[in-house]
Amino acid sequence: MEAGDLELVAFTLRIAALSTLLVVGPGIACALLLARWRGPGRGVIETLLSLPLVLPPTAVGLLLLWMLGRHSPLGRALVARGLDVVFTWKAVLLATTVMSFPLFVRSARTAFEEVDPRLVGIARTLGCGPVSAFFRVTLPLAWRGVLGGAVLAFSRALGEFGATIMVAGNIPGRTRTLALAIFSESQQGHDERAMRLVAITVALAFAALWTTDWLTHRRARTTEA
Amino acid sequence: MRTGTQRRRVGRLLAALVLASAITGPRAARAGDPLVFAASSLIDALTEIGKAWQREKGSHVDFAFGASSDLARQVEQGAPADVFFSADPAQMDRLEAAGLVAAADRRDLLSNSLVVVVPADSPLRIEAPGDLAGLDRVAIADPDAVPVGKYARAWLERAGAWEKVLPRVVRTLDARGTLAAVAEGHAAAGVVYRTDAATSGKVRVALEVSREQGPVIVYPVAPLRDARHAAARELAAFLASPEALRVYERHGFVVLKAR
Repeated sequence: MEAGDLELVAFTLRIAALSTLLVVGPGIACALLLARWRGPGRGVIETLLSLPLVLPPTAVGLLLLWMLGRHSPLGRALVARGLDVVFTWKAVLLATTVMSFPLFVRSARTAFEEVDPRLVGIARTLGCGPVSAFFRVTLPLAWRGVLGGAVLAFSRALGEFGATIMVAGNIPGRTRTLALAIFSESQQGHDERAMRLVAITVALAFAALWTTDWLTHRRARTTEA
Repeated sequence: MRTGTQRRRVGRLLAALVLASAITGPRAARAGDPLVFAASSLIDALTEIGKAWQREKGSHVDFAFGASSDLARQVEQGAPADVFFSADPAQMDRLEAAGLVAAADRRDLLSNSLVVVVPADSPLRIEAPGDLAGLDRVAIADPDAVPVGKYARAWLERAGAWEKVLPRVVRTLDARGTLAAVAEGHAAAGVVYRTDAATSGKVRVALEVSREQGPVIVYPVAPLRDARHAAARELAAFLASPEALRVYERHGFVVLKAR
């Protein structure tokens, strides 16, 4: 690895870590809502939340750019306050967060749906408040799906390309992530560096998946015992 | 049970690592340096000039290279660039019309010419523009937007060969993308700037487009009006300094006389 590679990996990992953290809180809230609430408009909310999953990432990126760019009132208000978002690292973070959010929600929702509501009911009759019932019953039973969702979100953020390049560009040392660097290097015919970056990405993805597998397996065995 | 505790510890450690790396923030180390958006054909010359700036001023310069048309669009949408260096006046006009560049700050700095390149080991002979129509694939940067592609198109149109060549055209992102496509043998030939051809040992110039046959190629440079960095104007002036002009000339660019 060269010095530039290290900088690139550190930047990409930090973006992925921060976007995962941003996704988890609101993601759990949305997943719980979708798993438990059966009111009107549920389908609409579900579809809206899943939209980044089915739209081309470039379309999501362009929508974000329209929302936050110089041509929108919001974008102009941000710039007037001295806050640059588009084509900065903040835009990279925004793109990866938006793109990975639905992945987390899907995984967490399925996990919450599998928790028997009667168990939560019992906890409530035993004097648990709704918050404490969530932390003492629902989350411990659903944690593997939640963790799996977090890893999916992390991996998505690690590899996000389309939305990022639209809203954050591809500026070396500022908004260029591993995925963008692989694209640039291969476009310029620097195949050797491109391949090295691909190898790094494979190693990172492998490490993330393997670690999760290892962490979740332990719990599986102890519950069986 | 012991391994269970161990794993739990590892899990906590990992969570702590994720948290720590997130909190220290992904801010790029160099976000405080001026940022130049420049045509991809300028990569080598500007990288060298950037180093000269660093030697003299003690601070780094960031460059984002790409198709001038892409970069101009990004500036229009709010990209925090400080200086724009375009491969054609049209992109600069666009920013001036949007009020992002002042007419008085623009300077037409460089010129260039077009060449047809083929892979270095290709026996292909190209004697006239029309010969391109007989090839399998011809790499040209997007002829509807990217300066080098528009120049190539203007040359072929004037030669009356564009309609015949068009079905053979593989569109690339910018001049350096075209060069790479030919260097890697993905295209039989490509149209790039003379200065691009000189940077790669994997291509050979098969045809030079003379100044009379080719379009007028002009590279304007200007600081942006709402540049975030205080040194924007100074940097734009440095890019047009005698020292920088010598670098462009060494890389094969033609330096235009100041108006």
